[in-house]
Amino acid sequence: MQMFGSGLIKGLAITWKELFTKKVTVQYPDEIYPLPDRFHGKFKLNKDACISCGMCVRACPNKVITMETETVARKKRLLKYTMDIKYCLFCGLCVEACPKNALGYVKDFELAQYKRDKLTVVLAAEEPLPREEKERLEAEAAQRAAAAKKAAGARGGSAFGNKAEGGE
Amino acid sequence: MLRTEEFTLNMGPQHPATHGVFRLILHLDGETIVKAEPVLGYLHRGIEKLAESRTYTQVIPYTDRLDYLAAMLNNLGYVQAVEKMIGVEVPERAEYIRVIVSEMSRIASHCIATGAYALDLGGFTGFMYPFREREKLMDMFEMICGSRMTFSYIRVGGVAADLPEEFYPAIKKFLQEFPSCVDEYDGLITGNEIFQARTKGIGILPAEKAVKYSLSGPVLRGSGVKYDLRKARPYGIYDRFDFEVPVGKNGDCFDRYYCRILEMRQSHRIIKQALEQLQELPEGPVMAKVPKVLKPPKGDVYHEIEGAKGILGYYVVSDGTVNPYRVHVRRPSFINLDLIDEMCRGWKIADVVAILGSIDIVLGEVDC
Repeated sequence: MQMFGSGLIKGLAITWKELFTKKVTVQYPDEIYPLPDRFHGKFKLNKDACISCGMCVRACPNKVITMETETVARKKRLLKYTMDIKYCLFCGLCVEACPKNALGYVKDFELAQYKRDKLTVVLAAEEPLPREEKERLEAEAAQRAAAAKKAAGARGGSAFGNKAEGGE
Repeated sequence: MLRTEEFTLNMGPQHPATHGVFRLILHLDGETIVKAEPVLGYLHRGIEKLAESRTYTQVIPYTDRLDYLAAMLNNLGYVQAVEKMIGVEVPERAEYIRVIVSEMSRIASHCIATGAYALDLGGFTGFMYPFREREKLMDMFEMICGSRMTFSYIRVGGVAADLPEEFYPAIKKFLQEFPSCVDEYDGLITGNEIFQARTKGIGILPAEKAVKYSLSGPVLRGSGVKYDLRKARPYGIYDRFDFEVPVGKNGDCFDRYYCRILEMRQSHRIIKQALEQLQELPEGPVMAKVPKVLKPPKGDVYHEIEGAKGILGYYVVSDGTVNPYRVHVRRPSFINLDLIDEMCRGWKIADVVAILGSIDIVLGEVDC
């Protein structure tokens, strides 16, 4: 039979040990606990790498991401990339969906804001190209395409000829 | 004989001992409970309905929010249900990672259960010790998937990413320390005379009744029924590990609590074995070749796993489109709550907290 109270004393001995262990408290605003590399924090977008494919928009379960694009010379160009962070689940499906690794995280978790509208984060905002510029680019592309077609036609013809020769 | 009037006492929804927004209407005769009526739905978010307008992959973050204390297990149950539907072979490496993270999640959940139980019964120190280990687990989860609670880590066909390099030393250190930490919980909480007086012989749940009401998890095993899906119907690769299913004897609050402590030790064993076997595996993919847009064939599937709170089942119906036609979750906490009225009847007010805490409910899961 155990003496009554021995359990309490054993418990006290366990807590007593804690008095001599190292302190683990991190003085938060002054020092920040190191965050791992995969931390899901604030988003960042590499505008140059983004090809405006819209995979992230489709991957998001909560319709957080909106994307505005314009098509110049059959090439998509990113105009505006907005994230409605207040609905974000931080699940990481958008980052995972990105085929060019353009979307990523920053190790920053201090996302609280005083105003509700500040929770809509604009990650990229570009002016649409002026009309002359667009026309110039389109004309250039058309020229390039025509040249390429001509070259391909020439190559394709010779290849066909070679094949015909080989067949004989 | 003088008859006294029944007194109605409202416990919750904002009561710290109900572990969330749970309301219990207690009908009292003096201090004795005559009837306990649970009122649910304060945390209802309609996750099952939300799932119908999401694609199969997009449901995963929502399953995190069911039992938010053991989110990996929720991920696993859903993902395995979808995998059953489309019939995909998961890479070996991913299976091991799944076992490791889900057992870590089970330990984290039981840490809360034991710690919060000590707190419910008035022992604040007992609350801090399990939370210390949970904190270490959450740091490791953060390394693996970037989040501390809502992981969304397990994917249809594998896991989102391989375990990072920095994870291995952390888990090894944790595995080394953990048994002595559980010994500390035993010394602080289990061995405490006041704790034993508050829990032993309280809220007895007979085994037949527990089976009849299809209770599961530590609540069922506390009553002495040896039933664990990991042993009874192994899913994934659980048949490769050597572990025991701890059971209680009397089915009282203490047995339910102690079952969790013993389960933590078993989970520790499983992680140890899984880690050893994982490190013998050659490097390889952690994702099977799965189409980006999942379109399972028409039909339905039911899959259940052993969650931290009990049997966690997912029923998914597909109509052949990209969105599930219907998702239903068999939430263990919700079903374990069925017997709260009968368990509370005849006990005193102070025992209600002990009984409710021993069931270990999570309101995210109860209300869904």
